[in-house]
Amino acid sequence: MTASLRILLIALTTLAFAAPARAHPHVWVTMHSELIYAPDGTITGVRHHWAFDDMFSAFATQGLESKEKDKFTREELEPLAKVNIESLKEYDYFTYATADGVKTPMTEPLPDYWLDYKDSVLTLNFTLPFKTPVKSKELKLEIYDPTIFVDFAFAKDKPVQLVGAPACKLDVALPREMTYAEGKALSNIPADQQNTTMAWGAQFANKILVHCP
Amino acid sequence: MTSGRYSTLAQGALFILGMLLVLGVIDAALAQPFGMTRGAPPPEIGGFTGWIFAKQAEFYRMMSGTIRAAKADGSAAYTLMGISFLYGIFHAAGPGHGKAVISSYLVANNETWRRGVVLSFASALLQAVVAIAIVGIAAVLLNATAKTMGNAVRVIEIVSYAMIVLIGLRLLWVKGRAFVSLLRGEKHDHHAHDHHHDHGHAHDHDHGHDDHHDEDEAAAWGHAHAPEPSELAGRDWWKRGLSAIVAVGLRPCSGAIIVLVFALAQGLFWIGAASTFVMGLGTAITVSIIATLAVVARGLAGRLAKAKPGAGMLLLRGFETAAALLIVAFGALLLTGYMVSERLVGI
Repeated sequence: MTASLRILLIALTTLAFAAPARAHPHVWVTMHSELIYAPDGTITGVRHHWAFDDMFSAFATQGLESKEKDKFTREELEPLAKVNIESLKEYDYFTYATADGVKTPMTEPLPDYWLDYKDSVLTLNFTLPFKTPVKSKELKLEIYDPTIFVDFAFAKDKPVQLVGAPACKLDVALPREMTYAEGKALSNIPADQQNTTMAWGAQFANKILVHCP
Repeated sequence: MTSGRYSTLAQGALFILGMLLVLGVIDAALAQPFGMTRGAPPPEIGGFTGWIFAKQAEFYRMMSGTIRAAKADGSAAYTLMGISFLYGIFHAAGPGHGKAVISSYLVANNETWRRGVVLSFASALLQAVVAIAIVGIAAVLLNATAKTMGNAVRVIEIVSYAMIVLIGLRLLWVKGRAFVSLLRGEKHDHHAHDHHHDHGHAHDHDHGHDDHHDEDEAAAWGHAHAPEPSELAGRDWWKRGLSAIVAVGLRPCSGAIIVLVFALAQGLFWIGAASTFVMGLGTAITVSIIATLAVVARGLAGRLAKAKPGAGMLLLRGFETAAALLIVAFGALLLTGYMVSERLVGI
């Protein structure tokens, strides 16, 4: 075996092992979120409306009893909603808040959560209050699954709304699909090199930024 | 180039390769991070990885539309098969302990690439069968809920991960002992290992049909390495491999289960089942390629061992021991829940 062939083999093997994907999404969520303001101008929490993709919706509703075929009422979905909310606790509801640069804890969701089922899509609705209402110049909310089993994306129309807000400026970092060119450029970066120029995390995060006077 | 210099160079290269291999496998298996730090930002995904990620997500998402289309138009089923195949290929290149365990197993056990391919295909096939069986029995026959299926998967998971630990421990016992005794500089003369000697011949003979690396290595070793007699019983490789096939293939892919249930909801369970098999085919191809690369690397180490009996053999045994250790680590981390292979959220 020539030395070059050997090097080639080594390179190939390295590539195969050093380049595994870190992501494995199996659930897609399209989000609408609302920031809830108190009359005194503090933000009390965030209300999420998470629509699951049709495959996961079919999976999650499998075997659930309903009066009408392929239709589920809020009541019929209640046990499932309970399980959803309870198991989300372990993952901090995938919601991470930072007020003026300080991590701000959220508490358990209010008991008024519910699931609805429309056009074969399951939507989870729940309100996540801050431990203490937040009043800050800048509030950053990030919604993601660190393990990327769940792929979160803001809805295209009115992804975020401010409910009862004073004059605050809203900025939503919409996630976007990686273009083919970007994918190709990314794939050209050697697997053992840290990719510094194309930070995926920053560009594709779901961020809500609120600036208040 | 003198053979001495050559092997020193090659030895260095192989050492680096070995390290990369080990790190790469850990990286692959820890794809879903350890314990998962609360509030940690999403891991940065770039390079080849980002591309694989984007591709598999793309194919997976295409499946739902294609299954719906197949309801009205039968020809969409063919498109679905194509998508499933590509999804399988890309999905297996992503995180998952399967390919890591199979590769480590092949390296530690000194199996040939052909056996690696057989193991890869058999475990992928089993994975497809298990997914179809779970959905077929639980959802189709019993109309069970997703939660019930999730529980069934969890039980299977525990069995599968425990098996991985056992396979790893057994290999570690065999390979680790050989490595340690070599490290201590023990002489492997015929006097001390007489009873192993005969088995050794059977072993070499059997392997010789498939792979010349083993002959080289055996010559360097002086027919004196001392795996357990059962390890050496030539034709038993299939039995030996069966445990690896079951350990890896028992745990079905969450994606396949979701696709199957979705197809069932559309009244197209059998199309979902066919898609699952085709996904398995794609998975098997990717895993086979990676497993083959691992075997090739192991073969290079074997050649080196021949060129430089002392240090080379130490490296080789070290390589095998590290691979066995990795299997134990995978199994233990998966079993204790520190490493999450896949999970079904909120069910």
